[in-house]
Amino acid sequence: MQLAVNIAVLAAIYALISCGYVLIYRVSRVLSLAHGELMMLGAYGLAATASLFSGHPLVAIAASGALALTVGVLVYALLMWRMTGESVLAAVLTTIALGILLRGAMVLAFGTQTQYPLQQLGWTNASIAIGGSGRISAAGLVLVLGTGAVYAALFVFLRATRWGIRMRAAGQNPLLAAQRGIRLHGVYALAWGLATFTGGMAGMLIACDAGIEATLVTIGLKAFPAALVGGLDSLFGALVGSLIVAGAEVLIINYVDPLLSEVVPFFVLLAMLVVRPWGLFGTREELDRV
Amino acid sequence: MKKTLFAVLLAAAWPVAAQDAYVIGVSAAMTGPGAGIYAPVVDAMKAYLDHVNAKGGVNGRQIRLIVQDDGAEPSRAAANAKKLLAQDKVVILINTSLSSTYAPMISEAKRAEVPLYFGGSVCPKETYPPADPLLFCSSAFGANLDSQGSLAFIKSQAKEPVRIGFAAMAIPIARAEIDYAEGLSKTMGMTPVEKQISPPPAPDYTPFATKLKDANPNWVFSWSPWVSQVRTFEAMRRLGWNGRYVTWAHLNAEDELARIKDGEFYVIGTNAFFQDDLPVHAEIRAVTHRANLKSPVTYLTEGFIAGMVIEAALKNTPWPPTPQKVLAAMNNLKVDMKGLRGGPLEWTKDNHFRTKQYYRVWKWDAGKGAVVRVQDWQAIDVKR
Repeated sequence: MQLAVNIAVLAAIYALISCGYVLIYRVSRVLSLAHGELMMLGAYGLAATASLFSGHPLVAIAASGALALTVGVLVYALLMWRMTGESVLAAVLTTIALGILLRGAMVLAFGTQTQYPLQQLGWTNASIAIGGSGRISAAGLVLVLGTGAVYAALFVFLRATRWGIRMRAAGQNPLLAAQRGIRLHGVYALAWGLATFTGGMAGMLIACDAGIEATLVTIGLKAFPAALVGGLDSLFGALVGSLIVAGAEVLIINYVDPLLSEVVPFFVLLAMLVVRPWGLFGTREELDRV
Repeated sequence: MKKTLFAVLLAAAWPVAAQDAYVIGVSAAMTGPGAGIYAPVVDAMKAYLDHVNAKGGVNGRQIRLIVQDDGAEPSRAAANAKKLLAQDKVVILINTSLSSTYAPMISEAKRAEVPLYFGGSVCPKETYPPADPLLFCSSAFGANLDSQGSLAFIKSQAKEPVRIGFAAMAIPIARAEIDYAEGLSKTMGMTPVEKQISPPPAPDYTPFATKLKDANPNWVFSWSPWVSQVRTFEAMRRLGWNGRYVTWAHLNAEDELARIKDGEFYVIGTNAFFQDDLPVHAEIRAVTHRANLKSPVTYLTEGFIAGMVIEAALKNTPWPPTPQKVLAAMNNLKVDMKGLRGGPLEWTKDNHFRTKQYYRVWKWDAGKGAVVRVQDWQAIDVKR
């Protein structure tokens, strides 16, 4: 049972992070390599709002969520907007530069010490018994449930709402979508906002479970294989890819050698790239070389 | 011929004579992974040396500390060392960064024949006797000695046969230490039951903790960066493990014991805690308050010690300083630690680590609502 719980928590982490990669790529064909930094910014956002709204944890959480969404929209409006129409490589390089800038800015603004937003919110990370022999941390449980809720909401949003349908249209054929009157910049800004919101949410929940460390940025990159295995333009693929990568990682730790846990996601990714480069649920013709 | 020789000598001597201060260069992980451990050391070292300068300096001269950030990257550390040696003409090079930066800095220091001092970073074995002529270290960590001290503590506390588990981060220095500890535990009559090595950034430590907990150890020893040590412990507790956990006291240990509040979580270290409230602690508080440092005062002992060591080495270096004169001073150095450690820090020509390493152990006492000392200074002789 514990093994299943461990896989579920790790898959939820990967799925919540990789959902941001997919949202941006699916809509604008840009691979955001600043996603780890934006995720960390979300975690620091929670620490900041927790201290600002001390004694009001729910307000602090809502404010940090709104902050993450706004940061995403601003990244598009102030930076990525200028990359529209430029080569994919230029846009990817811009996100790398943004990541480096954010990393430096976060050290200056928040220092280098570990921060514990859950403690600042006045909550504790209790251990909860699950299914008889399994245990899960409260933050881990919220992470699994929150990831499920985010994916469900995104599926409904993309299929049943006007803005969601616009996002899908812009992703499938931007020229046709623009000719039909869809404002592409608005759609792209929304995609960046939602991606940063979900990435930030992942950062906040990881920080609630384990604190904010400088290495949080790297965890953002660790979810990348999950997105690629599932297919970079498929949300459902990101979910399945996360389960596959997390499952392989946890089983390797438990039955083979924990040292291999770091390489196994990339081994799964390489195997997928050899057999099916566009991923399990990705679109074949959308494959691009960067 | 005489004129040419004079010109060459003058050119060689000029950079030193032209400077009116002892110039020291640091390459440190001020950003990047590990910055949380290394940046406070450099901040405290700088604050201490500023304090010395404010009091008139050393031998009537100021100390100029040049800090370069290497982000814990070997290539940047190499570039920093080159710049500090060639351009700034430093008389001591200091490393306060991850072990991956050691090789390029050692190579540059040897080329320039300038002493390389590890202040706040893990002491390389080359500083142990028989020491490399150019490498020195005052950091609290001591590979192999820390495992000896920790396992001796476990043995002294255990009333039942010890089934010991090990946890470390997948970085060379931590893995080597935990392998050493595993071997040592067998010679001390303990039974090693499991060893978990987790990658540097693990999103969730529970899978590693699960394997460790399932082996049912009654003690676990971990020697790694703090994040790996404490996350593994916390995950094990959430899984219901109720054994005892011994781990290394990094800079943040005193604050972290109070955060974790677990009576069976022990930290072992060589620096006194602020709860001792020694006169030198008041001095650290005053110095860092004047310098307006962001780091909690409990994080600053290691950097303060590095500052004290530099001051003592320069006091014995006659003006004008050269790397050779500094080296001679460092080869015969005894620094009074004022209670921050169990005894003085002593370097000899053969031993650039210290002649004795002293260990204390602390834990959280729920009854007292405070961090308490479980074991007072225990000395280990550092020999060949």
